[in-house]
Amino acid sequence: MNPFERLMKAVDKEPVDRVPLICPGGMMTMAVSEAMDLLRASWPEAHKDAGLMADLTEGMTRLGGIENLGVPFCMTIEAESMGATVDLGNRAREPHVTRYVMESMADTGVLRPLDPEKGRAAVCCDAIRLLKKRRTDLPLIGNLSGPVSLATSLVEPISYYRAVRRDKPRVYELTSFCVEQAIVLGDAMVSAGADMICIADPSATGDLLGPSAFEEFVLPCLNRMTRHFQEDLGVPVIVHICGDIKKTGKLLEKLEARVISVDSVVGISRLSHLIPEKVTMGNVSTYTLERGSPGKVERAGLSCLRQGVDILAPACGISPLTPLTNIQSLAKIQTGLKIEP
Amino acid sequence: MPRLREEILNDLADNVLNMREDLAVKAAKEAVEAGIDALDAINNGLVVGMNQAGELYDQEEYFVPELVICSDALYLGLDILKPHIKAEESEKEISCVIGVIEGDTHDIGKNLVKIMLDVSGFEIHDLGRNVPLADFVEKAKEVKASLICLSTLMTTTMDSMATVIEMLKEEGIRDQLKVMVGGGPISQAFADSIGADGYASNASQAVTVAKNLCNVLTTA
Repeated sequence: MNPFERLMKAVDKEPVDRVPLICPGGMMTMAVSEAMDLLRASWPEAHKDAGLMADLTEGMTRLGGIENLGVPFCMTIEAESMGATVDLGNRAREPHVTRYVMESMADTGVLRPLDPEKGRAAVCCDAIRLLKKRRTDLPLIGNLSGPVSLATSLVEPISYYRAVRRDKPRVYELTSFCVEQAIVLGDAMVSAGADMICIADPSATGDLLGPSAFEEFVLPCLNRMTRHFQEDLGVPVIVHICGDIKKTGKLLEKLEARVISVDSVVGISRLSHLIPEKVTMGNVSTYTLERGSPGKVERAGLSCLRQGVDILAPACGISPLTPLTNIQSLAKIQTGLKIEP
Repeated sequence: MPRLREEILNDLADNVLNMREDLAVKAAKEAVEAGIDALDAINNGLVVGMNQAGELYDQEEYFVPELVICSDALYLGLDILKPHIKAEESEKEISCVIGVIEGDTHDIGKNLVKIMLDVSGFEIHDLGRNVPLADFVEKAKEVKASLICLSTLMTTTMDSMATVIEMLKEEGIRDQLKVMVGGGPISQAFADSIGADGYASNASQAVTVAKNLCNVLTTA
């Protein structure tokens, strides 16, 4: 069973020889500075050069033992393409938005539609095409920003959160537009060869918005995106939920994505209890990955496996300063731990 | 017949708590017309409501959108009342520099802390997000800050908090102010390990910690 077959079987809840270890990319980025130096494919250059982008994610599978390819390494591509100003950061810091394009929630007229054939959206799709030619044994994940995270990259988050209570029509308008643009990028990724789509929406947690706003604004948007990829295109979707789920617990059942990934504060056994039909993914603390010993990382990984996780993964984006040895120690427990069919 | 002071103060608090901006403005105007001392109306009316909102946020009854609207109502009320504060009355506020560490642009938590400290009588100098470390030190010297609040959501930037504390020592002003830290990956243990004076896990706790650090008596 190669990593591609293993992940696809895990996604379908079919028997696997062992649990796959993945790190989707995007917000849940996998690239670390140590590997960038070894591979001579470093941030920030790898954010805007398809060859370097491909080299870096492929290199992480070799050096870290991660069993998937995943691009991009940030969640700024959509916002930048729609008009936001982005600082690409450096080898240890992710790109981030430095200027919102909208002055206020009423300002949707200034937004540009996302063009997947231009800028870093095109770079990302070119990288997918390159990777697809090189490796068919590894699953390739295209990563998208969730609609609220994209919206709050286009307008000051406080304005957006205020409108959630005071100006729902504008929230619907902006968030729907974000869904449509993210789908445009996702479509381009899938035509380029992406096998799966992962959506992360850190600005839309139940902790921040509360359960009722999560249900009203976030759930329908995530499901609209999910349906498009999973049902129309036949591409499985991972939705990553940041923060705790104690306020949104039951709502997770309503997510249509086949795979649900959670933050490290959530126990995997609690998650599988809440969503028994779904594939669970997670959730090795990225804090432990960055600052713990290899032994501690190993124990965190084993604990996820004991709780019955279907796909082993970091709980969030790996910090670029994470030592490679810590990532490798996750891979080691994986190859050493065969599940009898 | 004019209403009692208590009734108007209650209205001020309730309208902030219940997110009724227009009624908060109306109650503030009524307070002015009834001759209620402006500071009394702010501290025992508007701020009480904001603190109650903070408690509901702690209990996860309110979330960020609710807290934002409560603070809108509070600031609208403040706009009416502030011009009526008698000059000799205005207390000397505690000067506080706040910002998100360089390399990090997540500022929702910082903004909530800023609002809660602002309404609790701190004079806030907000440096924003992605703030170069030297700026914290420079601003603290410029405004003679008694408190610096550092925030970050990312593990990659948390060590910079220790750097800011080192820079304060080098400038010889570490003993003249308190440092409070907070944000996703930050804990009390981390705060202790870098020699920060205080840690708060959320915006309303930040007020309690800040007041303790700066020896402010709680009036509520």
